[in-house]
Amino acid sequence: MRESLVNREVVARTGSDREYEILPHVNLISLGGRSIFDRGRSALLPLVDEIATLRRKYPMVIGVGGGTRVRHTASVALDLGLPIGGVAQLVGAMEECNAVFLNALLAKHGSLQMPRDHFWELSLYIDNGMIPIVISTPPYHFWEPPPERGSLPAHGSDFGLFMLAEVLGMKKIIFVKDQDGLFDRDPALHADARLIPRATLAELEKDMPKELILDELLFDAWKNARHVERVQIINGLIPDQLTKALAGEDVGTVLTKEKRA
Amino acid sequence: MSSADQRQMSIASALEHATMTGSDIDFDYEPVAIMPETKVLKIGGQSIMDRGRAALFPLLEEIVVAKETYHLLLCCGGGTRARHIYAVASDLELPTGVLAATGAYVPRQNARMLQMLLAKHGGIFILDDDYVKLPLYFQMGCIPIATGMPPFAYWEKPGANGRIPANRTDAGVFLSAEFLGAPRAIFVKDEAGLFEDDPKKNPSAAHIPRISAAELLRLDLPDLAVERVVIDYLQRARFCKELQIINGLEKGMLTRALAGEDVGTIIHA
Repeated sequence: MRESLVNREVVARTGSDREYEILPHVNLISLGGRSIFDRGRSALLPLVDEIATLRRKYPMVIGVGGGTRVRHTASVALDLGLPIGGVAQLVGAMEECNAVFLNALLAKHGSLQMPRDHFWELSLYIDNGMIPIVISTPPYHFWEPPPERGSLPAHGSDFGLFMLAEVLGMKKIIFVKDQDGLFDRDPALHADARLIPRATLAELEKDMPKELILDELLFDAWKNARHVERVQIINGLIPDQLTKALAGEDVGTVLTKEKRA
Repeated sequence: MSSADQRQMSIASALEHATMTGSDIDFDYEPVAIMPETKVLKIGGQSIMDRGRAALFPLLEEIVVAKETYHLLLCCGGGTRARHIYAVASDLELPTGVLAATGAYVPRQNARMLQMLLAKHGGIFILDDDYVKLPLYFQMGCIPIATGMPPFAYWEKPGANGRIPANRTDAGVFLSAEFLGAPRAIFVKDEAGLFEDDPKKNPSAAHIPRISAAELLRLDLPDLAVERVVIDYLQRARFCKELQIINGLEKGMLTRALAGEDVGTIIHA
C-alpha cells in the first residue's frame, strides 16, 4: 500500500478486462439548452408530453443544457479576465434554471431535480418510475484545468453527461438537439453540410468534423470508456423522434463505440 | 421572438453563435490573477501525514511562524488509506469515477486532522465553496486548510491503463494555485524533489534541482514524484508556472521555500 501511484506498472495492475455495471438499464437523455430550452414552449412542450408517456416504459435520467445564457456568461466572464476555473464555476447556474423549468413542467408526471452526484438515490427514483433531472456541466469548478487550446473550459456539458452515463455503466445516451444529427460542418452556417447518419468512434476520429455538435472531450473520453455503447443525436423539433430513439430505431445520427454486427 | 415559428430567444454575445464544443474560438482573453500573494502548500499524505507526529509537528512549528508573514493555504494529500481504497475498488472492478469519489474521503480526513492541530493558531477547515471566503480568512490571520483533491469525483475520466484516477491531490493543489493566480505551488513531501530514479529504491539516484516540464516529459521516467497530469497542466497554465517539491522532513526547508529559495526541485513551465 505504500508503492507509488505514479509508477506505470503499479497503475496498470489496477486494470482488468471488465468493469462492474452499476445501473446499465438506465437511459440518459440530454435536452439541449440553445436547441430546445431557448425555443420555449413550442419546442419543449411536445417533448414534455413524449417524456411523460415514455417514462412508464423506459427508466431514464434527463440532463439539461444552459443555452444562450451560458454563452453570455462565458462571454462576459472571459472579457473580464476571470480565471478559467472561475468561468467553469459560473456556468452551472444557468443550467439549474432550465432544470427548474423542466421540473415545473414534468413534476405532475413524477420528475424531480436531483443534485448531479446523488447517484445512490437513483435506484429509488427509477424503481418508482420517477424522472430525475440533472444539470450537465461536470463539477470541475475552480479546478477546471487550463485548456489545451483556446480559452473556454474544455469540460463542457456533453462531456459531463457522458461521464455520468459512463461511470454508472449506462449503455445509451440520446442528445436531443435542433438538428437532424451530426453533420460534417455546422448546418446552421453551411447549406451544403452533409449528415453523418452512422459512424463508429474510430471512423469519426479519422475524419472529425471541424464544427462539432458535441464536446470534443466527449469523444476523447469515449476512447477509454468501458460502458457507453451508443450515442445518438436526434432532432427534438420533429415529433416522436425521442420515442423512436428510445425504442432503438436509428433516427438522427447513431454513433457506436464498436462496429455493429 | 415568437415561439410559434420555433425561433430561439437568444442573447447577443461574442459566443452567441459559437459551437462551444471545441477550441476553435479566438477570444481576446487576458485573465487576471485573483489572489497571487497566496502561498499554496500541499502537505503530503503518505510522505508527511502518515508518518504522524515525528514528521508533522516540526512542520507545524514552521507553519505557525510563517503565517505571520504569508497567506498560507494548506491542502492535504491522501496517502496509504487512499491507496487501500483504490486497491479494494479496483479489485471490485468499479469505475475510475468511483475511485476518485471515494479516494476523496482520505485527504478530507487529513485536512480535518491538520485543522484540529492548528485550531489554536487559527487553523480552519474549508470546503471547495469556501475558496470565495479566503480574503476574509487571511485578513483574520487564519490558516485555511482544505483537501487537495479536485472535485472531479465521478466525472474523472477513465485512463487507458488501470483504474487509478489521473487527477489526485497533486493535480488538485496545482489547480488551486492556478485558479488563485499564485506563480508557484509548493509540495511538501518526504524527498528533496525529483531524482532520476526512485531514491527509496536506488539511494544513488541523481537529484534534479531544476527542470522544465517539457524536459521531464522527454525523460519519460517510469516513476515520478508528482502526478503526470500536473506536468501537462504546468505547460498550459496562465499563472502557476512553477512547482516546487521539497523535503518536509528536513528542518527549515519549508521556511526557506516560502522565502523564495530554490530548495528541492523546481519544475517550470
